[in-house]
Amino acid sequence: MNMARQDVVITGMGVISPIGQSIAELHRSVLDNRSGIQLWESALLSKGVPAGIIADDFSSQFSKIELPYMDRCSQIAILAAEQAMQDAGIDRFESYAQRAGLYYGSVGGGVQTEHEWVRQFHVNHVEVSKPFTIMASMLNAAPALISIRHKILGPVVTNSSACSSSGAAIGEACRAIRDGYLDIALVGGAEAALSPTFISLWGGLRALASVDADDVTRSCRPFSIDRSGLVVSEGSVFLVVESRAHAEQRGANCYAKLSGYGIASDGHHIGSPNALGQAAALRAALADATLAPEQIDYYNAHATATRGGDPIEAAAIREVFGDSTERLPVSSTKGIHGHLLGAASAIELAICVLAVCDSFLPATAHLVEPDPECGLQHVAGKPVPGHALEHAMSLSAGFGGTNVALAVSKEHDLPRRTLPAESSVNRVPQ
Amino acid sequence: MKHPDSGQILSLLQQFLAEKFDIPSEKAGIETPLLDLGLDSMLILDVLLEVEDQLGVKLDDLAIPRNATLGDVVNVIQRNLEKAE
Repeated sequence: MNMARQDVVITGMGVISPIGQSIAELHRSVLDNRSGIQLWESALLSKGVPAGIIADDFSSQFSKIELPYMDRCSQIAILAAEQAMQDAGIDRFESYAQRAGLYYGSVGGGVQTEHEWVRQFHVNHVEVSKPFTIMASMLNAAPALISIRHKILGPVVTNSSACSSSGAAIGEACRAIRDGYLDIALVGGAEAALSPTFISLWGGLRALASVDADDVTRSCRPFSIDRSGLVVSEGSVFLVVESRAHAEQRGANCYAKLSGYGIASDGHHIGSPNALGQAAALRAALADATLAPEQIDYYNAHATATRGGDPIEAAAIREVFGDSTERLPVSSTKGIHGHLLGAASAIELAICVLAVCDSFLPATAHLVEPDPECGLQHVAGKPVPGHALEHAMSLSAGFGGTNVALAVSKEHDLPRRTLPAESSVNRVPQ
Repeated sequence: MKHPDSGQILSLLQQFLAEKFDIPSEKAGIETPLLDLGLDSMLILDVLLEVEDQLGVKLDDLAIPRNATLGDVVNVIQRNLEKAE
């Protein structure tokens, strides 16, 4: 690692997801391989789809004056961001002025608000929306509301590059810290797009998983010979990242080092991924972290369980890792949490952090017979506890061809975080 | 047709504010600044649109002064009702 530049460390994490509403719950779910995938139905659709669902309604946690501006996406983003801040011991960012930033990724933003407005327009023939609807539905509503609540006065940036949205956001924040523009940033993503119109958009692609006949929770099967497609999920994950110097100065404990960021585009096709672009992102992240491929101890795959996508990523992995592919444990945790779209990179990075901190290999759930086209060293079926990791990587590949790879590494110099217990304070405030 | 007086308009506003935003009527007096109630211009605009529906009138002039009080909103509604006569 090149110590001449400003290292970036992760000092806080927060999550609202189908497999946990705290980092402790997420950790437990990954260790137990507990699936958060359930049947999602709408009165407007003739059949249900499997989806990563968060059963709770969070609106009671906000006042009626706040709610008009808050789509569900913003609500879960605010709650996950506040968990991460609490976890990092940060209350407000005001004193940082322009040296604190917020980098956020989302695909749809206020999808449910927009769906409801379009319904009113077409069905009820309402010609003018409520005054605040445009703000509740916009893509950057969540980061705007977070920045207002917690006085983040530097860059508040929304990135949308489909499924790599939060990955690029996290990576760009990392660069801004390393380049000396920022001391600290709140980074992550959110998605709450389980609306009939949005699900039907995906349905048009014929890429959604069918409901597993025996057990709906097993409907997402990345790398499996019998995989049937991706499972759309909702959720939000945020992390607090800061420079090593800043963490040292304020006496913060850290989870891990955010050691590498690589971004590369396919320049190929708007809806079909390409192994060359993915490989380029992986190589860029390795170079950024000054790591050789054989030094990576765990790889969290983008693998969404589509017929076309998983083999392409497997090819990219083989291209980059070469002979060491045989020794590289790979899994896609989407088998239990599904595809969080704008929050996908963020949840998968958080899982990499947990794996490095707690020395275990997360698994690809429901993987009994791997597809020969996806020939890799799969962590199939069950996580592997007691497996020390020094470096882990995650890839996200977005429609449009933007690929992002992130690497995290065990921290040896700063005091390390103890993973919170399940019943700890790292819960959604009630 | 006789228009509601300022007291009736204030009651109507208090009723909307309680229903929509959980603002207790006893806190929403004629002198109360809107900002003290947490109300920004868009939330007030939403309330005025509700008033339009309730009274069956079109409020053409929605100009509310800076640092307005609830009384200023009552005045805006009255002004529009008078113009509509």
